[in-house]
Amino acid sequence: MKPRDPDTLSHGPAATQVPADSPVAPGMRVRETVSNYPPVSEWDDVVMYDAKAHPRKVGRHYMLVPTTCFNCESGCGLLAYVDKETMEVHKIEGNPAHPGSRGRNCAKGPATINQTSDPERILYPLKRVGPRGSAQFEQVSWDDALDEIGARIRKAIMEGRRKEVMYHVGRHGEDGFIERVMLAWGIDGINTHTNICSAGARLGYSVWGGYDRPSPDHANAKVIFLLSSHLEAGHYFNPHAQRIMDAKVRGGAKLIVVDPRLSNTASHADEWVSPWPGSEAAMLLAIAAYLMRTDQVDWEYVQRWVNWRVYMQNMHPDQDANDFDAFKRAMTADYAQYTFEFAAEECRVPAEQIERVAQIVAESEGKLAAHTWRAASAGNHGGWMVARALFFLTVLTGSVGKKGGTSPNGWNKFIPHGPDMPEGPDMWNDLLWPKEYPISTNELSILLPHFLLDGRGKLDTYFTRVYNPIWTNPDGFSWIEALSREDLVGCHVALTPTWNETAIWADYILPMGHSTERHDTQSYEQYAGKWLGFRQPVRRVAMEKMGEKVGDTRDSNPGEVWEENEFWFELSWRIDPDGSLGIRKYFEAPGRPGERMTVDDYYGFMFDKNVPGLPEKAAKEGLTPLEYMRKFGAVEVANDLYRQDERALTDLELDGAVPDENGVLRKPVTMETTVPLVGEAGAVGVVMEDGSKVAGWLTPSRKLELYSPSIAEFGWPELATPGYIESHVSAKSIDLDAGEMLLLPTFRLPTLIHTRSGNAKYLNEISNKHPMWINSIDAKRWDLQTGDMVRVTTEIGYFVVRVWVTEGIRPGVAALSHHMGRWRTTDGAGSRWVTGKVDVGQLPDGRWRLRYKEGIVPFASGDPDSLRINWQDPGVHQNLAFPVHPDPWSGMHCWHQKVRIERAHEEDKYGDVVVDTKRSREVYRDWLAKTRPGPNAQGQRRPEFMMRPMTPQRRAYYVNDPA
Amino acid sequence: MRYGFAIDQRTCIGCHACTVACKTEHAIPVGQFRTWVKYVEKGVYPTTTREMGVMRCNHCTDAPCVKSCPTQALFIRPDGIVDFDNEVCIGCKMCMQACPYDAIYIDEESHTAAKCNFCAHRIDQGLEPACVQVCPTESIWMGDIDDPTSGISRFLSLEPINVRTPEQGTRPNVYYVGADQTVLDPLAAPVDGTYLWANADPLRLETASAIPGDPLTQARLTLNTAHPRPWGWKVWTYLWTKSIAAGALLLGALLLLLQPERPELLTIVAPFVAEGFLLITAVLLIWDLKRPDRFWLLLNPFQINKRSWLAIGGLFLGLGAGVGGVWFLIGVADRLGIADLTALLTPLAWVAIPAAIMTAGYTAFLFGQAEGRDLWQSPVLFWHLQAQAVMVGAGVLLILGVLLGVSDSIITWLSWALIAGVIAHLLITWVEFGGSHSTRNAQMAAHLITHGTYKVLFWGGSIALSAIAALLALPTALGGPVLPAVLAGLIVQGALLAHEKAFVKAAQDPPLS
Repeated sequence: MKPRDPDTLSHGPAATQVPADSPVAPGMRVRETVSNYPPVSEWDDVVMYDAKAHPRKVGRHYMLVPTTCFNCESGCGLLAYVDKETMEVHKIEGNPAHPGSRGRNCAKGPATINQTSDPERILYPLKRVGPRGSAQFEQVSWDDALDEIGARIRKAIMEGRRKEVMYHVGRHGEDGFIERVMLAWGIDGINTHTNICSAGARLGYSVWGGYDRPSPDHANAKVIFLLSSHLEAGHYFNPHAQRIMDAKVRGGAKLIVVDPRLSNTASHADEWVSPWPGSEAAMLLAIAAYLMRTDQVDWEYVQRWVNWRVYMQNMHPDQDANDFDAFKRAMTADYAQYTFEFAAEECRVPAEQIERVAQIVAESEGKLAAHTWRAASAGNHGGWMVARALFFLTVLTGSVGKKGGTSPNGWNKFIPHGPDMPEGPDMWNDLLWPKEYPISTNELSILLPHFLLDGRGKLDTYFTRVYNPIWTNPDGFSWIEALSREDLVGCHVALTPTWNETAIWADYILPMGHSTERHDTQSYEQYAGKWLGFRQPVRRVAMEKMGEKVGDTRDSNPGEVWEENEFWFELSWRIDPDGSLGIRKYFEAPGRPGERMTVDDYYGFMFDKNVPGLPEKAAKEGLTPLEYMRKFGAVEVANDLYRQDERALTDLELDGAVPDENGVLRKPVTMETTVPLVGEAGAVGVVMEDGSKVAGWLTPSRKLELYSPSIAEFGWPELATPGYIESHVSAKSIDLDAGEMLLLPTFRLPTLIHTRSGNAKYLNEISNKHPMWINSIDAKRWDLQTGDMVRVTTEIGYFVVRVWVTEGIRPGVAALSHHMGRWRTTDGAGSRWVTGKVDVGQLPDGRWRLRYKEGIVPFASGDPDSLRINWQDPGVHQNLAFPVHPDPWSGMHCWHQKVRIERAHEEDKYGDVVVDTKRSREVYRDWLAKTRPGPNAQGQRRPEFMMRPMTPQRRAYYVNDPA
Repeated sequence: MRYGFAIDQRTCIGCHACTVACKTEHAIPVGQFRTWVKYVEKGVYPTTTREMGVMRCNHCTDAPCVKSCPTQALFIRPDGIVDFDNEVCIGCKMCMQACPYDAIYIDEESHTAAKCNFCAHRIDQGLEPACVQVCPTESIWMGDIDDPTSGISRFLSLEPINVRTPEQGTRPNVYYVGADQTVLDPLAAPVDGTYLWANADPLRLETASAIPGDPLTQARLTLNTAHPRPWGWKVWTYLWTKSIAAGALLLGALLLLLQPERPELLTIVAPFVAEGFLLITAVLLIWDLKRPDRFWLLLNPFQINKRSWLAIGGLFLGLGAGVGGVWFLIGVADRLGIADLTALLTPLAWVAIPAAIMTAGYTAFLFGQAEGRDLWQSPVLFWHLQAQAVMVGAGVLLILGVLLGVSDSIITWLSWALIAGVIAHLLITWVEFGGSHSTRNAQMAAHLITHGTYKVLFWGGSIALSAIAALLALPTALGGPVLPAVLAGLIVQGALLAHEKAFVKAAQDPPLS
């Protein structure tokens, strides 16, 4: 589209017209006489006319309390309207003071009110009474639950069974809190969902610069290259969509979208490329090769920041490793094999289109904002190479860290910690970080049930926190088998705001608050700055501001819903009531030993001490830092951050640092030193050829590693440079005429988020059907029409679904959205807004089967809308039928499946899923056999520089204590 | 001053934030929407695109909903916002028929009409509508379109713009930039079996095959909201009962003037039939109100909208009922020997004739105000209603006349009236459906009647049954036995019911969004 006329770039004058006495919020705007939000100065008492009473002017008094969204991981700002008379949350809007979301939201932000007022939510702690999985629970007191769980963990720690305590998290939605808790307990026990999500892309990014994710500066880009659907989903949907459209409107930026499916994002693309899934790296490398052979590379940047000498030493030992021109020639020759024709053959798209895309990239003038997160990287064996190849383009165009280019996330993310951060534990949990996956970017969480069933370990106390592995992970029946075994999982505690399928197999279900009912801080790389967002229980804040005494957040939440932070404080005390385990001290109020830490203590300390600039900003408003964050809900810590690789090191950083033989500045470390989350312990920067001492990157060389010595050391020298790994579902491996197709099971809708949004009626009513997309060419091949029921057979079983014939997907690929197929086994243990009732059990031949007894039907509740439910389809729980496919390098579950499509059999019913878990185990072993286990030659389990969500001491990285 | 929206579909990402923010702002029941995002897929892989359009009330300068609202519940504010007051809405759904944009619904909680009101309560506080505030890509603009210096005016002056169905002449104030015609045109994209992630509603699925579509792009509707027909059996039944009442009144009055004899059929039964069927009509009409408890608002001269034919029609129904009532009382008084005022019947008949004509015919003007239903915008509808009133009125009087044993001359006369009514009905139907309609909306509705969903009702009911009735009445008209005429009198009722059912339903079938 043509750039907008400068006069009409924005809707009106900027925030300068906000009343002079009101603090400036980045998302405030005034257009003529109308503004988007009441000024911040009035937030404690805003009179709003009642929409229902209109046109009669009935004013109601509200306190506007900011918080942050807890649906997707964007952490957008929200503003809760707390009715000062009833103290109920009336509605939820965006927070104009939030620098990432700037007062705007996607549908899931305002829909939060549905989640908090859902008559189906869990209001009280529940304890299992029947056999595990029978979905029979009784209400218990928080005290009893805390006592039992605390005693178990205490016993496990005292008996040296720390490995048996595990916290398994879905979307964190917070930074640093649980890390501190686990460190305090001395437990290497944080398990995440990352290898069903983004582990693939993380490896691709990590090997380049240490940082595991990109931070594209979309707003200022000339070319935006997305292997994702960031105008509708993912990290960071709304904040990124704002800026992508800004770039299109203001700068006329070109948008390239790579997606086998016509996403909403693709519908806005200047070039929609729909390659065969898994072939993307071939296309990207062909573009890289084009840049090299046409000499459209920012060689100056490459010379300064890429470890080209290491490349030459290893790839071309016969040549002069110090001759940059020789490197240019050698690399160009090395990549010459990636022609457009080669890429076209792999991708099954015209070479002309790839060339067109290459030309657009070449013209990006160092303003290439490129992003991949899940998509291809999460779907394919070797998918991590897609991210690596994409970042290669960022490097070659000289777009790294530039305005309009792509920075690493670490430059734009800010994690402040609470008081007295504990040191890392001296243990290594190989249930999370097994030897087969030394360069995995995250825990092998999809393999947990297999590891347990293999006897690699067991769990005494297992927390699933807003996490639903039985549903979300592949191979859910294996999860059911493992979680059903009380000898393998002693006590399963589900911390969740809403019902989920995994909670059915819990021993305790502990209700935790939604976004307006809990404390967290978080920060995400959404633009070329840094911000810190503050989630808070809004009713509590309003009550306290109005002078009410609140004991803890339960006093202001519905029922006995709590928040996690106070729960962990309390649980930690019960684990170590007398302080003898050395745990309790971390949960005592700073300066008040022997007294429990409160959330005010924790965040008060953090905001006072650990957020640069915040105390000054607060003082300007006449507030304490905590008061400031309670009032604004977010603070911008930095802006316009570019080229942080060139940041000169401070004296403090340089103090005691000595350059090693590669110029890397290191401070002395011991085996007891805790490794940083990313980067090597002790390393602070690098001395460049011109003598400048700068921060550089977080790799061992502090440079961008075109050649990754770590990958070579850990067993994969042939993959030490960006290359092409054929996917397990490559076009060659799928015989369309035999009824085979590639199933893409991961695409997301703009209105739903995993299993979190299941109880938001205003989202359900927009998105409530689960057809499998197939192209008309495939439909013709099998004489299928929209609505026809088909059986989709995977390696371990099958599921039954209806098809939608569309031109919105490439032929050969079938796609099924990710959010649907929700179920409950009994009423009362699942949200009826979104779940169907099922029978789950084993057939006489031992196979598992899930079959619907009832779809979604209207039901009576306190909300009259539940009787207005006009949707019926709970969808198909496809993930149950997927075996685990851990990528041998990143550990990412490779979601794409080779499937066989046929008309449904007579005995099939819509939504059936049948799985043979014996086959699951076989496929698991097949994929395990693809690995090359560590440690490396030095006995190291894993490259020290690679990110872990929590890190132990250096000693733990070694199989045999080198000391 | 005139507030309007400009929606930039070039940057709209179809995220539905506006939809949900609007719903939470107004606590709108599940299944109903004041604004929503429509998706259309077009083209063939790999040149497929997805087009989006944010749909909502157009805040028309010439708002048909305001014109048609009988109780002034809908009104245009001085700032141009088309607003509503749900406390004086009677739930007649007239506005839903008047709106050519599917913008209005009956709120399931309040049972009153509701639609986008520009968040007027927020505007009055200097705040943007909720949809504008939430939009991630600032794709929804709002402001004073009359002020050439406003941001929205400058924006609109620089870009090529469109509105939805401008041919409706409503002068919409929601402008689209970069919206594809297949999104703006409700008849360009039929649903193909299902939406991409939601159920298509039964009416969309039922009518999909009748939608003309866009042969060039093969556009398919892939997401939209449900808009069931606002009017159902009570309305088409009302058209029948009211036709009987008007016919009885009209034919009774004519007979009073033309016939020397005055049997009870004319002095008591005809006005009784009129009164009885007008009563049923009133019951049906009030029953069809979503707020029947507020029916009395139609009697309040300060509340009614003098431009609304629903309100005016109420007056004609009242006039018809008044004339019929007096007539009936005169007849009864005479029969019981209380008083002989029969001399008044002749002048009364002169009043009854125009009252009957308007009782039958006002609906043509009422349907004319249903600007969303092009089929109803028929210049011959007024005459058609007269013919139908004669047809069924004669039928009822024939049956009762035979039962009461009135003279052959009256039976013959009524038989000829029935035949004439049927012939007129058939001729006007031929005029109506034999030619081509000027809009695609009306064409589609007419096609549904003659060749689609309603063809059995139409050909078998409206046409065949009425023709059979006329043929049956012919021997009686020619002095033969009376029984066939009684049968004709019965059959003709079925014919009209079938006709009205098809006519009322089909006009509401073409989608408006």
